[in-house]
Amino acid sequence: MISTSQSIIEIRSVSKSFPLSYDIATWLRYVGRVPRRQALRDITLDVRAGELLALLGPNGAGKTTLLKLLATLSIPDTGSIRINGIDAAQHQLEVRAMIGLCPSEERSFYYRLTARQNLEFFGALAGLRRTTLRRRIQEATQSVNLDGVLDRRYDSFSSGVRQRLALARALLADPVILLLDEPTRAVDPLQALSIRKFIQEELVKRQGKTVILATNLLEEAWQLADRIAVIHDGSIGAIGPPQTLHESGAGIAVYEIVFDRPDPDLEVRLREIARFGTYDISAVNGTLTARVSVEASPAALTDLMRAISGAGSVRGFRPINPEPAHVFGQVIERVRKASS
Amino acid sequence: MIAVALRQQSIGSVLAACWAIFVRDARIALSYQLNFWLQWVTVLFSVGLSYFLGRLISPSAAFGVGGHQESYFDYVAINIAFLRFQQTALQSFALAIRESQMAGTLEATLVTPVKLSVIVLSAGLWAFFNTALQTGSYLLLAIPFGLDLHRADVVTVLVFLVLTVLCIAPLGVVAASAVIMFKQIGPFEFFITGLSNVVGGVYFPVAMLPLPLAIAAWLLPITHALNGLRGGLQGASLAQVSSDALWLTLASAILLPVSLAFFAAAVKRAKLDGTLGQY
Repeated sequence: MISTSQSIIEIRSVSKSFPLSYDIATWLRYVGRVPRRQALRDITLDVRAGELLALLGPNGAGKTTLLKLLATLSIPDTGSIRINGIDAAQHQLEVRAMIGLCPSEERSFYYRLTARQNLEFFGALAGLRRTTLRRRIQEATQSVNLDGVLDRRYDSFSSGVRQRLALARALLADPVILLLDEPTRAVDPLQALSIRKFIQEELVKRQGKTVILATNLLEEAWQLADRIAVIHDGSIGAIGPPQTLHESGAGIAVYEIVFDRPDPDLEVRLREIARFGTYDISAVNGTLTARVSVEASPAALTDLMRAISGAGSVRGFRPINPEPAHVFGQVIERVRKASS
Repeated sequence: MIAVALRQQSIGSVLAACWAIFVRDARIALSYQLNFWLQWVTVLFSVGLSYFLGRLISPSAAFGVGGHQESYFDYVAINIAFLRFQQTALQSFALAIRESQMAGTLEATLVTPVKLSVIVLSAGLWAFFNTALQTGSYLLLAIPFGLDLHRADVVTVLVFLVLTVLCIAPLGVVAASAVIMFKQIGPFEFFITGLSNVVGGVYFPVAMLPLPLAIAAWLLPITHALNGLRGGLQGASLAQVSSDALWLTLASAILLPVSLAFFAAAVKRAKLDGTLGQY
């Protein structure tokens, strides 16, 4: 039994690069030392048992690369990965026995076999036998609402069914860790809701599984994750719970300020305030509401208070959680600035 | 706990994985019904071809074992039957890996807790089973055409069948390693097949070859495999073909671990370069 306070996944200073080109002409040109593209840079990360960590980032950020490293389908250039205390590079079989991978790629099943035959194959390789295998196939497919299509060939399935079958396969051997690569990528909005609920309520809360979810959907990360790791260009730009990521990760605080009396100079003053960050204004029933994003620091807050003090009568002033898109954008911006 | 359980992985788990891979390949092969049945029609054509070739050439002691005079039909029919085993051994592993790359199932298979050696070696099981069935049928079909098998030494034949597979399969595993690296079925197996046809004693006895080619023939597994298999089918005991058996045993003992190391190195390279999922 794994205590929920301990790290089940420990990633230390992991970097990963890929050759810029795989063709023989390039290989000959560089005499075997083909320049490499950096996919992950010095990643250090701990994931606690029973936690749902979202890897959030744009396409090509390095999310899938990180999942593949965890699944032992790739080997880091430097650094180490330990799963439940076991070195992933040295003991790949042991690590694989603890992991269920749900790839985003549709091409990971045998098209000419039925769903049941596919699951029988992968389940047998995962070490399940006869009665247990049959029972687990039933349970896994029921949990993702697939039990009605088990005896249909894979090539007859829609993208959504294929995606759910990949999830069922990842669950077959009842692994302690689930690596989910964009599990709602190809499904319709209703199915996406159902899958998200299943991941959060059933897998994490009820079964206590550790889930790493790679996604580029902000609402998915914010809705599901205990913590979000924002990845950009191979680096973790920020990590933290969704509620505090704007401060801990993006380094911003957002305040909503309601002005009672329209002030002709207000916009000028807000522009002044916004030298710290960004703002937007909306007029409702004769009042003006400004949402101002500033650096998350006591000094910035003091400056903000000083700046609005002469901007008309302030009816309300409160910190608010910024929109995920705003936080995400700020984190990406910070990473860009840091790397340039 | 998981680590301990895995270290104690029983022979049962390995056999279960092998069986799962066999069943998968059988199901996929049988799903291409026209192709499957056409293979059996080809067996029939091969017997006919050997028979009519045999009628053109007089019986000779050069075709027999130990100076015994044999018909060319007996000689070539047996050789062609077992050449299928070499082709299967050379091609099946590479084809299976290539199909997994194309279907995108290679990564999904390699993420399971099954050893690489089990995955790659099991990839040939269905193909060998199918080839054994077809070869048996080929020989049975050849009997009404005049193939004489009544003197066959079953033990010798079975021992040489196993040794043939064990000795040639590593070449197939090396070919599969090349597929992992280069994403193409390379010319390797075509080269070996071509060489075997010319100097391996498939269509004419090795004794007819000039010395340099005879030496090359001696180095090829197919030469010893065919010698032993033909000897066994013509009644030679294991002792009479022991030198061929010894050659095949030694070669298998060296080639099998080397080929598996090759395959592991190819997979490791692909993991380092991030090309495992590419096709």
